[in-house]
Amino acid sequence: MKRLKVLKYITLGAFLIITVRLFFIQIIEHDKWVEKANEQHTILETITAKRGEIYMMDGEEPTAVVLNQAVYQVIIDPAVTPKDEIKNALEKHAKEYITANLDEVYNTEGLRYFIVAKNVPYTNASKIAEEGIKNVWLKEGNKRVYPEGEMGSTVLGFVNSDGLGQYGVEGSLNTLLTGKDGLLKSISDVNNVALSIGKDNIKIPAEDGKNVVLSIDRGLEKGVEEVLADAINSTAATNAAALVMNPNTGEVVAMTALPGYNPGDYGNVKDASIYINQVTEVPYEPASIFKNFIFSAALNEGKMTADTTYVNTPSTEVDGNTIWNAEQRAKLNNQTLTMRDALYWSLNVGSIQALKFLGGNPNEITAEGREKMYDYYYNKFRLGHATGIELIEQEGFIWEPHAEIYGLNAAYANMTFGQNLSATMIQTATAFSSVVNGGVWRTPSVVKGTLENGTIKPLENHEKVEDQILTAETSATMRSLLINNRSYKARAGIDKPGYDVGGKSGTAQVIVDGAYDESMSNLVGSYIGFVAPSGQMPSYVIMVKMWGEGKALSGGEAQNLFDTLSNYVIDYLKIKPEGV
Amino acid sequence: MNRKHKSDLVILFTTLGLMALGLIVIYAIGPMRANVLNTTYGTDYGPNDFFLGQLRSVGLSLAAFFLAFKVIPYKYIKKFAKPLLIFALVLSGLLWILSLSHSSIVKCELGECRWFQFGGTSFQPAEVLKIALVVYLADFLARKREEGKIGDPKEFWLPLIIVCGLSLGLVVVAQGDLGTGVALMAIIFGMLLVSKVPKWQYLLMLLIVLVGAVGSVALSSHRMERVNAWFTTLTGGESSDSTYHIDNAMLAIGAGGFAGVGIGNSVQATGYLPESINDSVFAIMGETFGFVGLFLVIAVFCIMLLRMLKVADHTPDDNNRFFIVGVFSWTLAQVVVNIMAMTALVPVTGITLPLLSYGGTSMVFIAFAIGLVLQLSCYTSREGIKHENISSGGRQRGSHYSSRRRHS
Repeated sequence: MKRLKVLKYITLGAFLIITVRLFFIQIIEHDKWVEKANEQHTILETITAKRGEIYMMDGEEPTAVVLNQAVYQVIIDPAVTPKDEIKNALEKHAKEYITANLDEVYNTEGLRYFIVAKNVPYTNASKIAEEGIKNVWLKEGNKRVYPEGEMGSTVLGFVNSDGLGQYGVEGSLNTLLTGKDGLLKSISDVNNVALSIGKDNIKIPAEDGKNVVLSIDRGLEKGVEEVLADAINSTAATNAAALVMNPNTGEVVAMTALPGYNPGDYGNVKDASIYINQVTEVPYEPASIFKNFIFSAALNEGKMTADTTYVNTPSTEVDGNTIWNAEQRAKLNNQTLTMRDALYWSLNVGSIQALKFLGGNPNEITAEGREKMYDYYYNKFRLGHATGIELIEQEGFIWEPHAEIYGLNAAYANMTFGQNLSATMIQTATAFSSVVNGGVWRTPSVVKGTLENGTIKPLENHEKVEDQILTAETSATMRSLLINNRSYKARAGIDKPGYDVGGKSGTAQVIVDGAYDESMSNLVGSYIGFVAPSGQMPSYVIMVKMWGEGKALSGGEAQNLFDTLSNYVIDYLKIKPEGV
Repeated sequence: MNRKHKSDLVILFTTLGLMALGLIVIYAIGPMRANVLNTTYGTDYGPNDFFLGQLRSVGLSLAAFFLAFKVIPYKYIKKFAKPLLIFALVLSGLLWILSLSHSSIVKCELGECRWFQFGGTSFQPAEVLKIALVVYLADFLARKREEGKIGDPKEFWLPLIIVCGLSLGLVVVAQGDLGTGVALMAIIFGMLLVSKVPKWQYLLMLLIVLVGAVGSVALSSHRMERVNAWFTTLTGGESSDSTYHIDNAMLAIGAGGFAGVGIGNSVQATGYLPESINDSVFAIMGETFGFVGLFLVIAVFCIMLLRMLKVADHTPDDNNRFFIVGVFSWTLAQVVVNIMAMTALVPVTGITLPLLSYGGTSMVFIAFAIGLVLQLSCYTSREGIKHENISSGGRQRGSHYSSRRRHS
């Protein structure tokens, strides 16, 4: 065989094998490799939507109380970033934002692209950039900023490190505030930098979150918190909560609970329960302020009037249980009293009598009475229900009228003065608003709407209920009874002349180890009332609650807090007195 | 020697065409390469640095090519066959010794020290060794043939084994350069084949060397890793770090399809495929130009190589003919091994694609060698050599194969 021919055949053979191989890879297997290439080359990058800001009202104008601040992560590649240069730059411009030990980072084998500083403000990040150090990257992000500190934390909530809103409107309106992230699908190089050469690159822009305007008045909120703080300092209370709402619209203009926390530093709290909104998320026994509701029911059903009388006894027997008036006043015992007197002196026997009237038999609690009371409490006043306010809520509990329990009548007797049930402050205040506003139950609201191009637009998909549950006459009677309750305050000059201020206190025993603490050393004090120019419809309903573990806080102490707050509200909101 | 006639235009134009194609490819992917290196390693390459580098290499290679073609007669070069080989061996030996002492003029990459570094210029002595060995073996084989000593154990095999063993040892063992080792073996066995060494001796020696090569691979964990990676890819096994290079070469070629993605649209060149402008440039060309483009490239190489064989066939002088076969074997080995590695037909060995890959030394020396072949193509005989005729047809075509009758 000719030897050069051997080389020729080797050459032709090799190139033939290569050609066949290339045909197999490029023609037959082409789709498979394209799929693999797409898998390797395609990056799906989320374009983060900018979170909406939160506003409170400052008079008639919205003012931002939650903002986004552009902050930067400093990223280095230990394999190529000059250590001394970046170390000096960080020490010089962003010392308080360093999140990594640079010596450890540089000594870790194989480590690439590491975040060494977080939340670096723009000015500091700019100075680092100006140093011109090679292979240092600044990645922009947003930090939630709460310039008012603790103010409004009950309503605002916070945003956690994953960018999720927690508690307050940050939590309840998280979807609205978050917006919708966009998507970038593109061909990228090996360092995940998008390339323009891809044919199927897709960019779906982000839809930024909505700016939300709360009905909360910033100045009032701040003032209410200061008043509450003073009350805590001057009493045994360790906690206090307050709510101010317009009973004619359902708008909440102040809502707070102390102690609060700084949402911008939410991790720095001793007890995570501080995040819970005491106004909407904590059902409790509001005690005698519930007498307003049984009285309203009996009046509305025409089963009694304010002047209907009964014989007041120190206690009454129900299902073999003796239920006492909270405070024993000898001069009232075995006296014939009007129902107005019963509410004025906050007599438990009187409120049980209202239930008896409601049931059609003045001598005993009847099934009809229970049914009607349940209908008013649960269905009309919507106690034990979530109200529909734009915040996270808990429901509470109301015994059903035919519940199979021992002593159901006794339970209902207790429910007339706000024990043996549970409801939140917002449920109580909303129900009370309907008692005094002419009889209309309105869904409470803490959000005015979204701010779009300088205009406030109402929230979409937020159902608002308006339900006439009491007659205007019943409501007027109740207002007169509540004003009568505070007649001595007006006489003492505590309530301003020219205004009608009505209210009702409540002192609740606390359940300890499954039973009411009879030692009376654990008491929760509540007060609910309204302010109105004399002879006119109420302008605002105010509810306060004071408590402390192992502390006895009476309705009287809560009333003192209400006194201060009601006058503050009148002054701050410039409620004009009668005839002005 | 035959009367000088026109050179072989096919070799001339295929060489120039391949150089031009290499320049276009580097122009297209150079900026991507610069960007990847700058991002990953903090280097400071400009977008045109690699193109300018390739332009410089092509310029030098063209100079070497025409120097060999037109200026330096091969008959003078072959007079220095022995000193040239000694010089090449000394250079390689020096590189090895200096690498042991971690000299600053030795450039090492991934633990292998294969280059001298002078300022910004590097130089690979193995490339000198390749051409020196071709020149030496051509001279040696021609002399032994003339003396009738071909196949003689003492006069032929002993010096041959010493020279070849030393060369391979310095390249494969000292420099860890298996790619150049494959090229050297191809040169040796290609030239031996046409030297009329007895068949049984040739086959026995081939067997011994193959066993030795398999042994050296088996004893080297690094080389075994490459073999395993190749086998994994060939059999469609699961990808791993060791199969990354070959996986991405196949991906680039496969994604190119029939017509390719077009110039400037290669994604694999943006950092996915290692050595995209050097050893893996064929894969990037596969992605860019598709099956059609690669087929043409292969065809050009094939035509050039077959033309070299034809020139060898018509070269009456043994020394010249052996030299041409040496250059042919060298080129064939680099082309076939590089392409087969990129298509997972053989393990990755780290060998450049002649005239196309980015890199100065290898292109300059192979261009010089092909230039000499082109020079020798001017001295062919029309009849061919009576003991060798590789043409498929009986009639020789082309005016530039001179007749022995016109031999002066």
